[in-house]
Amino acid sequence: MSTVQNKVGIETKPFTFSVEGGKIREFVKAIGDSNPLYTDIEVAREKGYRDLPVPPTFPTVIDMWGGADFETLIALLEVNPLKVLHGEQSYDYRKTICAGDVITAVMKVVDQKEKSGMKLFTLETTYQDERNETVLLATSVVIER
Amino acid sequence: MAQLQPLTKAPITHSQIVRYAGASGDFNPIHSVVPVAKEAGLPDVIAHGMLVMGIAGQALTTWFRHDQIKKFGVRFKKMTFPGETLTVKGFIKEERDDLLICEVVVMNEKEERKLAGTFHVSKEETHA
Repeated sequence: MSTVQNKVGIETKPFTFSVEGGKIREFVKAIGDSNPLYTDIEVAREKGYRDLPVPPTFPTVIDMWGGADFETLIALLEVNPLKVLHGEQSYDYRKTICAGDVITAVMKVVDQKEKSGMKLFTLETTYQDERNETVLLATSVVIER
Repeated sequence: MAQLQPLTKAPITHSQIVRYAGASGDFNPIHSVVPVAKEAGLPDVIAHGMLVMGIAGQALTTWFRHDQIKKFGVRFKKMTFPGETLTVKGFIKEERDDLLICEVVVMNEKEERKLAGTFHVSKEETHA
């Protein structure tokens, strides 16, 4: 196990991501989700959405394409990329994010502990829309086994 | 405890994992480069946990309206390799005034649990 200093309190620079319909379509195609809500704007509008909504786990795209990508996380946490696993993930949805939204997010290390010879880091990410309203909170646990 | 209609997916393929890497932007080579996976002591590349959670998310928005889902959290239990067939099962555990507390589990054909978690469903539909 590598010996790293305490990372609690460290955060990424704020990163911004423009949510586009094309990226939503690409994402649901990769999952194999054929729900037209994510691909057909007519269906989305009929159901009362401003535009195509993002699927429940899409915020990972905001992180990875927006600035908190795998390489950035490895450097931030100083962990061995071959030993990193995703332990937990959760989302608290406050407002529906749709195509056309510009989201700004910051990821912060809020906890770090060692358990059974593994290092666990808890990361919290806050996502805000153009009006600086918090639309989503996410928590993840990254493990170095 | 009411069980929701299970969702069974087509077997996970290498191509799907690569496609998910591109779509999500998670290029950890353990998911896409076989020699790197082997260097990490694995027999093959593994699917992103987030691909498996994405599949669970697909089931959630099949069972309920997209904007009724208020919270969704999971714990990743076991790695998923190409060739595995995943099934998502959901259960309504508890009903409160305005909320359903539900559980979700993703398992393969051998009933090995890949992830387990909970989600909250609002009985009211609210749009942004």
